[in-house]
Amino acid sequence: MRSRQGVVRGRPLSLQIDGRVIEAYEGETLAAAMLAVDARVFRRDTQDRPRGLFCNMGVCSECLVDVTQAGQPTRRLRACVTDVQADMVVSTTRAET
Amino acid sequence: MNVREDYDLIVVGGGPAGQAACLALQDRLARVAVIDEQSRPGGQILRQPPRAFTVSNWQAGGTYRKLKAQLRAFETLSGVDWLGGRSVLDVRAEGDGWRVLVSDGAQVASLRTRRVLIAAGCYDMTTPLPGWTLPGVMSAGAVQAFVKSQRLTPGRRIALAGSHPLQLLVAEQIIEAGGEVPALAFAQSLQSALVQAARRPMTVLAHAPQLLKVLLGGLRLTASGCRIRFGDRPVEVVGEEQVQALRLASGAQIDCDAVALCFGFLPQSDLVRGMGLNVLQGRFGGWTAVHDPWMRSSRPGVYVAGETTGVKGAEAAGAEGALAGLAIALDEGLITSVEAERRARGPRRRRGRAIRFAELLDAIADPSVFLSQAQPADTILCRCEDVTQGAVDAAVATVETPNAVKLSTRCGMGPCQGRNCEHLLLQRMNSVEKAPQGFRARFPARPVRIGDLTA
Ligand SMILES: Cc1cc2nc3c(=O)[nH]c(=O)nc-3n(C[C@H](O)[C@H](O)[C@H](O)COP(=O)(O)OP(=O)(O)OC[C@H]3O[C@@H](n4cnc5c(N)ncnc54)[C@H](O)[C@@H]3O)c2cc1C
Ligand code: FES
Repeated sequence: MRSRQGVVRGRPLSLQIDGRVIEAYEGETLAAAMLAVDARVFRRDTQDRPRGLFCNMGVCSECLVDVTQAGQPTRRLRACVTDVQADMVVSTTRAET
Repeated sequence: MNVREDYDLIVVGGGPAGQAACLALQDRLARVAVIDEQSRPGGQILRQPPRAFTVSNWQAGGTYRKLKAQLRAFETLSGVDWLGGRSVLDVRAEGDGWRVLVSDGAQVASLRTRRVLIAAGCYDMTTPLPGWTLPGVMSAGAVQAFVKSQRLTPGRRIALAGSHPLQLLVAEQIIEAGGEVPALAFAQSLQSALVQAARRPMTVLAHAPQLLKVLLGGLRLTASGCRIRFGDRPVEVVGEEQVQALRLASGAQIDCDAVALCFGFLPQSDLVRGMGLNVLQGRFGGWTAVHDPWMRSSRPGVYVAGETTGVKGAEAAGAEGALAGLAIALDEGLITSVEAERRARGPRRRRGRAIRFAELLDAIADPSVFLSQAQPADTILCRCEDVTQGAVDAAVATVETPNAVKLSTRCGMGPCQGRNCEHLLLQRMNSVEKAPQGFRARFPARPVRIGDLTA
């Protein structure tokens, strides 16, 4: 839930998460942008259980998602230390973990 | 932004410790870089909002005033290259200096430096319980960082459970940001916390204002309708696709859509151990870097400061950073030992005071009441590889070392490099009286695409 009091966010931009187009704001981390639209499942584990992020500071790697940007190979990045960019394509459904 | 290939000093971590070191050096060393995974300096206690945000009254309040002043002073240093949004993957000895591998998420750069300061801070200690891998369960630090920096509450109703008084502060910050805190549960009894305090009357007196703030915070929370429970530990997080409720030992079931766990912190030790610096094992399985009175590590040219050397708060971190900065100036011949001694007096005094307070806090926040409880065997212990506590215990009964447990169960093989599970395994091993030694440190300290390493 984005707090509205006392904050002006960066300019709006849109990106794709698992095929769904979502709105985010410049300066947001990918993790924040995902949680703001209730996209809380960052992967499924070996037994297909839904998994969420944990530390939000880059140490646990629970927020790893596949991120593709124009002209770049797909990278598995930690959503909590990755800033959103317009037209990012994000996937949480990599087959292997 | 300036990135050189050769530095006199690379500081890993732009928190209070890293900042204080640079400030103590006063731009007298020519080529200094500070590297941090966060895009802006501040560290965990001052996780700044992104540059693209405008936030009014950010972290107002007396607690943060001095830290914010130090941060502003740091940001105006002209001689420091701020390399934010970059992760240090590895630091290894090369010739008479060090080679530092850094990733910005796309490219990997290789920097050389004559000296290194590791001021990498700490992270929330993980504490498994059934359901703790459900989306919506996170560390208290995670929740706090979302609120402080991203102005986001990662849930509408966030239940807090733990043993660390920091959760009182987190609860207030959630409520201030518009979220609800339906429960705040301390695993220990109020009485045991008070007994710990009563054993250290001088420290309590010396830090009465801070303790009073904690008490007042608790009273404000209670007044706002948040019930603070004592002697009640979390036993299960309930939910299917995400968190639906938190169940406590008392039987209380609290409806919520997020749970924050707050049982204390462990020092960041991956780089330190990868570099072969001497460390000591902490009580709950983490590792603290060993240092002399000047924050010099066991290897020449390498300094350590802040929570990397043990979790004792921002004040001590700043003091240690200042000492490290003075030591570097001294070792570079930029100041005399007389000047270093004189300027070290203040930081040493502050550090001593802060350590006594940290000892009091550690005693009050002792997570043992929770950690000593057996969890069901199918509780996940290693989150990356889905290894259960039962599987780990079975391996511990047959093999001798953490590395052997790792090989036979995959516990510790995942991308967290053991940060989430090594201490838990060591706790299991201690309980069957095996020698405490950790996993062998493994490259890289943070995940990176193989192709980017070889590019
Ligand atoms: C999530 C969290 C929240 C906290 N909140 C509070 C609070 O509200 N109040 C309080 O009194 N104390 C809090 N603490 C304790 C707090 O961390 C310390 O008091 C203080 O910030 C320590 O300062 P430091 O300089 O040692 O480390 P930090 O402030 O943690 O700074 C270390 C920096 O190093 C960076 N880093 C670490 N490893 C790498 C790497 N491999 N590559 C690149 N960068 C790296 C990190 O991104 C971090 O910014 C919190 C701790 C955590 C973990
Ligand atoms: S949530 Fe832990 S690394 Fe991102």
